[in-house]
Amino acid sequence: MMRLLVAVVTACWVMTAQAELVIRVTEGRADAVPIAVVPFSGASQAPEDVSQIVEADLHRSGQFKPIPASDMLSRPHNENQMIYRDFKVIGAEYVIAGSMKKQETGGYEVSYALFDVGSQKKLIEETYRPPASQLRDVAHAISDRIYEQLTGIPGAFSTKILYVTFNRKVDTPYQLQYADADGHRVTTILRSKEPIMSPTWSPDGRKIAYVSFEDHGRPAIYIQNLATTERHKVSSFDGINGAPDWSPDGQKLALTLSRDGNPEIYMLDLNSKALTRLTHNYAIDTEPRWLPDGEHLIFTSSRSGGPQIYKLDINDKSVRRVSFEGSYNARSDVTPDGHYLVYVHRRNGKFNVGVQDLQRGTFNIVTKTDMDESPSVAPNGSMVIYGTQDRGTGVLEAVSIDGSVKVELPSKEGEVREPAWSPFL
Amino acid sequence: MRSFINPLFALILAGVLAACSSTPTEEDTSATDNMAQQTDTTPTQPVEPVAPVKPDTSSIPLTADNFYNHPSNYDGTTDTRVIYFAFDSNTVPAAAFETLRAHATYLKNNANAKVRLEGNADERGTREYNVALSERRAKAVEKFLRVQGVSASQIETVAYGEEKPAAFGHTEMDWAKNRRVEINYLSGRP
Repeated sequence: MMRLLVAVVTACWVMTAQAELVIRVTEGRADAVPIAVVPFSGASQAPEDVSQIVEADLHRSGQFKPIPASDMLSRPHNENQMIYRDFKVIGAEYVIAGSMKKQETGGYEVSYALFDVGSQKKLIEETYRPPASQLRDVAHAISDRIYEQLTGIPGAFSTKILYVTFNRKVDTPYQLQYADADGHRVTTILRSKEPIMSPTWSPDGRKIAYVSFEDHGRPAIYIQNLATTERHKVSSFDGINGAPDWSPDGQKLALTLSRDGNPEIYMLDLNSKALTRLTHNYAIDTEPRWLPDGEHLIFTSSRSGGPQIYKLDINDKSVRRVSFEGSYNARSDVTPDGHYLVYVHRRNGKFNVGVQDLQRGTFNIVTKTDMDESPSVAPNGSMVIYGTQDRGTGVLEAVSIDGSVKVELPSKEGEVREPAWSPFL
Repeated sequence: MRSFINPLFALILAGVLAACSSTPTEEDTSATDNMAQQTDTTPTQPVEPVAPVKPDTSSIPLTADNFYNHPSNYDGTTDTRVIYFAFDSNTVPAAAFETLRAHATYLKNNANAKVRLEGNADERGTREYNVALSERRAKAVEKFLRVQGVSASQIETVAYGEEKPAAFGHTEMDWAKNRRVEINYLSGRP
């Protein structure tokens, strides 16, 4: 634990130029699997320590409990050096060993293997040869591979998080940024004096959509290509232009417009620019989110009084209420398999993230904080990232769907809000 | 219990109760409809503060609960540019009527003047839902001004939700200060 903390602190020190997100695991599973990530040979001379990044990734999933290197009786770097008994003694169920060798080209050769202590078998052995600039990518790819091998679920360590920051001490208080899922490698997409809201990813992860009030304080929805930074204004009607969400096929955008006098859900065809109004109700209808089938949307509506979650069929436009627990349920997201809805639920004046099992009909609150908002599900369905407050400042936290794992991502300066987890990239 | 016989306090209390009992729907225009009958029908009359004596409001303690309808927040002239709202409400507070009538009169007398009514919400609840709630506040103020006879072309509304707080704390009083509509003169400022 101490070693991990040191690792994180060191990583931040190296990159002080950017306000990176630091990630802390505050609650892991009691049955987390003990795993020994042996420090890779040559890692301390490399610009990024791949073994440390892999260890931090696995720890952050909450499903693995890394064993400190100081407890290890031997430190193998390949299969020949592996003594299973040394790891059995310290309670490790799995061992990751590897090496980093600098190449004449300036790049690195990264080799590693995953060993099962119980069966005394090598499960994975791989070699990568990345340029130095891609060592973090390789580390996350290794984490993904190991996670999938051991859990059967694809890892989401190579994904990104898109979010809005607010710091009123700077000239452009509102900023749109994205970072690796571990908070590193922050890139600023937009800086503005006016609010930026509701960022979201295209299904292929190449583009984003967001609401910006940069045009004389009036809202518009923009689509931006992350690689080329080219962007288009796709919606700037009178009234609200809000809550964009990409359809699973990437061809349409669901959004909220009040151009007819009242917030309603619309669908914008991104090719033909045709606009279809989907809801007709005097109440507030907003926060649409596509279900994986591409035929239905879930959204927030006040048609029964307070906000509740509804499901809409985009073909016949029929609407059915989905949430029934309590008087405030809003801003839902859905797991990739369509099995769970996650949304903001108010109870006793506190706002928490709730998970509704659509098949069993059960509902659970999975956070203990207050003022939780904007839950966004990881592309492998394992975790939900959301905005909350820590001592009066907006921060991001993540929780597993079953509530057993919690991870904090405190920001160094200003507030962080509205996280959107990318698809697999 | 001096305050119980203070008619001003009674008025405020009535406003509080009215706000509490009303549900925030677009149909709720009771406040503005009532005002239509009380409208001053002589628009050319200058906006001199004819009320000879300003009531002494110092005896009414300002709390987070009565903040939106507290006389100290409204001076009855176009100098007041912020209208506050009760929690989960888009009812224009009675204490703001005189101020809004002053803005209406000014706008009617100055056709070049344009206002943007900027709706805001407190931080509780989800962001886009708060945008929708704050739009209802801006539209309630717009409706009030329209009933007074202000031209639609002189008014635009924008909904900021919780994105542009006036107070940055997290207390009930901070929230009361953030549930508001700002009257922003885009041209022809008084």
